[in-house]
Amino acid sequence: MDHQLTLGDRLKVRTMIYVASEPIPRFWPMRTFIHHNPLFGLEHLHFEEAVEEAGRLFHGRGYLSRSEYQEYWQAGKVDEKALRKYLRVFLEKHAEDLPGISMEHWLWSLLTRCQNEQMVPATDWLDGQMLHAVLHGQAPDQDSETQKHRLQDILSHKIALDGPVYANVDRLFGTDIGSTLDDLLVKSCLDFFDEGQSAWQSPGRKQGFFAAWKEVAQHNVRFFLRGLHLRNLLESEATPEGVVAHILRNLKVPEASWQKYITRQLTRLHGWAGFIRYRSTAKHYYWAEQYPADLTDFLAVRMVLGMALLQEAVRHHACPANAEEIQDFVHADPFSAYLRLELYTGSILPAWAQPVEDVLARRKRSGFDKMAQQYITAKSRWEAERQVKNLQRLAKVMGAEAEAELLAMTPDQLDRFLEIIRAWEKQEGFTWLRSMESHYIKDLVNRIHIPQAPAMAEEKRPFAQALLCIDVRSEPMRRHLEAIGDYQTFGIGGFFGVPISFLEYGRGTEVHLCPAIQTPKNLVLEIPAKLELEEEPLYGALEHVLHELKSSVLSPFVAVEAVGLIFSLGLIGKTVAPLTYHHLHHKLHAEKPVTRLLLDKLSPDQADSILRAVQRAMIVRALIKEWNVPRDQVTDDDVKELREIALEHIPGPSALARRRNLSAHQESEFIQKLRDIYRVERHETSLQMERLGRIGFSLDEQVRYISQALLLIGMNHNFSRFVLLVGHESTTENNPYESALDCGACGGGKGLPNARVFAAMANKPEVRRRLRDKGIIIPDDTWFMPAVHNTTSDVVDLHDVDLLPARHLLYLERLQNGLSAATRRSAAERMPQLGGDAKLAEDPYAAAAMAQRLTHDWSQVRPEWGLTRNAYAIVGRRELTQGLNLESRAFLHSYDYRLDPKGRLLETILSSPMVVGEWINLEHYFSVVDTEHYGSGSKVYHNVAGRFAVMTGNQSDLRTGLPTQTVLKDGKPYHEPVRLIVLVEAPLAFAQRSVGNLVKIKALLGGGWVRVIIMDPEDDYRAYVLEDGAFHLQDRTETPDRQTLLEEIA
Amino acid sequence: MDIILWIVAGSLLPWFPFSWIFNRLLVSAPGAWARALAVIVLPQLGLLLLLKSGAWYVLGQEMPIALRALALFTAILYAYRAAGTRDVQIWARFMATSGLSLTWLLVGLLPQHWDMQLFVLAWSIPAALMLIWAGVLTKQTGASYLGLSGGFARVLPRLSVLISLTALAATATPIFPNFFALLQAMESLPIIWMPLLLLVLLLWGWTVGRLLQDLLFGIYHGEAVHDLSVAGTWLGGLTLGVFALVGIFWGGIWIIN
Repeated sequence: MDHQLTLGDRLKVRTMIYVASEPIPRFWPMRTFIHHNPLFGLEHLHFEEAVEEAGRLFHGRGYLSRSEYQEYWQAGKVDEKALRKYLRVFLEKHAEDLPGISMEHWLWSLLTRCQNEQMVPATDWLDGQMLHAVLHGQAPDQDSETQKHRLQDILSHKIALDGPVYANVDRLFGTDIGSTLDDLLVKSCLDFFDEGQSAWQSPGRKQGFFAAWKEVAQHNVRFFLRGLHLRNLLESEATPEGVVAHILRNLKVPEASWQKYITRQLTRLHGWAGFIRYRSTAKHYYWAEQYPADLTDFLAVRMVLGMALLQEAVRHHACPANAEEIQDFVHADPFSAYLRLELYTGSILPAWAQPVEDVLARRKRSGFDKMAQQYITAKSRWEAERQVKNLQRLAKVMGAEAEAELLAMTPDQLDRFLEIIRAWEKQEGFTWLRSMESHYIKDLVNRIHIPQAPAMAEEKRPFAQALLCIDVRSEPMRRHLEAIGDYQTFGIGGFFGVPISFLEYGRGTEVHLCPAIQTPKNLVLEIPAKLELEEEPLYGALEHVLHELKSSVLSPFVAVEAVGLIFSLGLIGKTVAPLTYHHLHHKLHAEKPVTRLLLDKLSPDQADSILRAVQRAMIVRALIKEWNVPRDQVTDDDVKELREIALEHIPGPSALARRRNLSAHQESEFIQKLRDIYRVERHETSLQMERLGRIGFSLDEQVRYISQALLLIGMNHNFSRFVLLVGHESTTENNPYESALDCGACGGGKGLPNARVFAAMANKPEVRRRLRDKGIIIPDDTWFMPAVHNTTSDVVDLHDVDLLPARHLLYLERLQNGLSAATRRSAAERMPQLGGDAKLAEDPYAAAAMAQRLTHDWSQVRPEWGLTRNAYAIVGRRELTQGLNLESRAFLHSYDYRLDPKGRLLETILSSPMVVGEWINLEHYFSVVDTEHYGSGSKVYHNVAGRFAVMTGNQSDLRTGLPTQTVLKDGKPYHEPVRLIVLVEAPLAFAQRSVGNLVKIKALLGGGWVRVIIMDPEDDYRAYVLEDGAFHLQDRTETPDRQTLLEEIA
Repeated sequence: MDIILWIVAGSLLPWFPFSWIFNRLLVSAPGAWARALAVIVLPQLGLLLLLKSGAWYVLGQEMPIALRALALFTAILYAYRAAGTRDVQIWARFMATSGLSLTWLLVGLLPQHWDMQLFVLAWSIPAALMLIWAGVLTKQTGASYLGLSGGFARVLPRLSVLISLTALAATATPIFPNFFALLQAMESLPIIWMPLLLLVLLLWGWTVGRLLQDLLFGIYHGEAVHDLSVAGTWLGGLTLGVFALVGIFWGGIWIIN
């Protein structure tokens, strides 16, 4: 038992696992889908390098294909000048040693006219000599010595000593251990990490992943039937890190390569690894607290299963059992190894597959070496012919001169020629990307309005002001609201600068409503203002019963005939008339009561009193649900006594149990439920007390948050009568990705609680008094009002209307009319893009009705476009973009540098909202460029896994990116993949200073993860674009482009 | 003389071990069309030889158990071998051998010559079609081997559909004539032999599953390829359609009688 491993060894293994997991992005559960950069763990590298590294680790591609970029180029969405510029820069570095060859012409033709995805594909044997021979109609020749050397190179590259042993065995013996291992591991993970989806839970989960799995694995019939001998492996070491080290030693992996080996193991199922990584570090994550697991457990399970499968393969196929034996095998018979490699990796010439398979299946392989040599000759010839065909096709398109050039090249020149094309193809995607971005940068710079009056003039007081999230979906709403009346809008992170941990009424766990990169300190509790808790409507009870029946293991056998038909009502209703069904369903359900938020810090006595009240409410609810005892038959003393018993302060039986003649067993069962389900439990109580200490904000905090948020958006004067705090959320049906459509700035949650918190704070006289001291004068008749923008239907609902002062009620109708009109206008703009008739653009009422239907249509795979097509983030005053149709493509953050003398506010914007924008943008970017590896493929095949993620089919890696339905339309990218283009309105030196103060942001900008434009208001609004580490002046064209002109006339 | 006749008959209407000759003959045919023709003609020749020589009727008086066992063994052996191959051409040959060997179970059962000939054609036609598709696949990809990348459904959708339907036809899927042929063979067997025939059926199910998995699923990594022409697809589809209609018609007659 760990006899060979010291504490230092164990720590070393754990450290290796920690370091190896760094490139794997954390994956948040889908309930609070966080748009994240799939290459987050590689953000320390330059974008281009990170894409390359990610290709090695996750096997994903980082750019669109050549033909897709060509389509953008033909559509005028690529800056041709930039494309040529980058090409020349490349040639300056690479092509000086090929005189007489018009490389620019070759590469430009390759870029713009070549249909092949790759002009020079990877080859084993091709060189200039062979290419030259085939070009001139001769047979390619390679002497046997050269061939042998080359073969050694190929084998050492493809069968690396530090590669996973099972993967090498798969490549040499076609054993399929890798996919079997993945299947078994995924099954084990599904059993352990389940969050309530399965009716029967896996046993012993509280011990942790590895310990629980170890116990089950030794009695697992499936493993036994497969002939896996796990017992010895599991008994070898007690701790997961011990097992990992033990197996690595048995596999004879050189210790220097352990790190790399572990990384490869973890990245094989990087969705699961990312989820476990998130889970093991998340704070207040209930399931992780209950059932702990980390990547060491995950790796240990993987290594044990992998080792057992390898041992099984060794028994059946007599294949090598460790890394050294594999190398010996390869060196002993390189021809056989090469043929095996070709066959089992699928790279063999198709015509040779069957004969080679036949020969390998035989015991005696006479003439095998001869066959291998013949194969190598055939493969060399095929590679050369393919290359010649590719080059000739391109030369033909280019003209006779190019064809002559090709034929005139010497073997050495051809070698160099291929080398240059290879180098170009390696960086071609990045070049296309930069050129595409250059187009978008120029377009934005030309379209931006330059404010006419830089000084703050006396302004007219608007009828209402609205603070909306920076989310791209707020852009049309802001535009339409401003267009229809006297409204002024501001953009701010949808959490309104107030990070909260929110405990919603009726929910058992808190959610963090702030950007995922922050951890909120303050807890906000929602409590009901109406006391009608214990009455559960009939329909709710019925639904509860049906739900219980559905999730029970046995009920399908006995209840389908009896109650199955009831489910069909919902099925038909949701399908045929989703809106009517929803209205009916909504009416039958009890409405959520009016609630208030606990905002102010609590004293210890207050905290204790609140906790008791909550627990009593839970007990009352439990009595109704579990024992069917209505509230009127229970006294406060009964509830108090049950609480004391549940908290183990006094023993049972309770007076209530005695009164109702309930047995001790029944009561103890009930008490256990109180502890397990209703959380009336000692440990939970102390946790709750700790949480209660986190409830609310001190007055100083409230003033700080409000003042900072207002200054951040440049709002320190001219407050109107209504200041709307418009959070946002989405409503969709049958959509595991629902929270991806919610507010990213609220950590994938709904923005309303933050809006309510902000409004409640900002309406406090004491807060306003202190704000006045800070120079923010809010008139007495200004009322901050929370609202929520449903981004699917575009409806804006006002909240806490009952708190509105009487004098404001007179204006409420006008306000609501204005919001409704903006809703319809916005829907009319969006619906034609969501498959609606083009005529809807002229019929706002019909468009709004369609949008409403989308919120309840469970067959809809694309209820809204969400954040798709995002491209810009504009940080500056609204004057820059007012009236511009930015087509829901811009994150708009209000900011006035004149209120930020030290640049602290800009730092806040760059380090939080901009990072959220960058994550959202790159999630979309990578989901488009590789829908399978970074995206999550088609939704059609998705299944919810354990209530925290989706998988493809019934078993796969967790799908971490966005589905194709979100980013593609008719099979083509709907999201145009460019990095986020951030435009900041601030003096150049000032902005540079702010960036310089933030190490992470400096790395992000310097590494090219976002593109930055600084528009300097103190330098005649000249635009400076950051590229290759320096700011370059970007000229604005003299006249605005046609589209802008048309918009302005309109 | 009798021995030579049995050997020749066993080589043309295959049963083990002469089924090896039948397969060699098919392989040696030059090109896919010739193989397709051979798989139709050779079994018919074998059948004619048996019928014209009168050997079939001699057997019909009392079905030797050894022959029944040999026929079933051949069917099982080749069905199993088909499950192990990933080459469409080899698969078609093995499946044809497996199906055709069942003809020997019908000794003394079908009095009409044309009934016998139809029975044999029921196995030969899908095999012939499959051999043609194998030829098309070889032309497009260099071989009819499916084990390298799979995912042909995306790059060769028309050909993939035809191969899939033909594979189903070759494995006696209902509505195709060989399904009814199989029912006739079943009828000829005493109940105690039934598990062996069911085993054949099970193996066919397995082999067609494997073939379709290799053909349809996965991601294609090979060179760019051209699909079957629309006319070719229509022709292939029409042939399969007529084949299925004949099956229904023939099956109907058999059930009525």
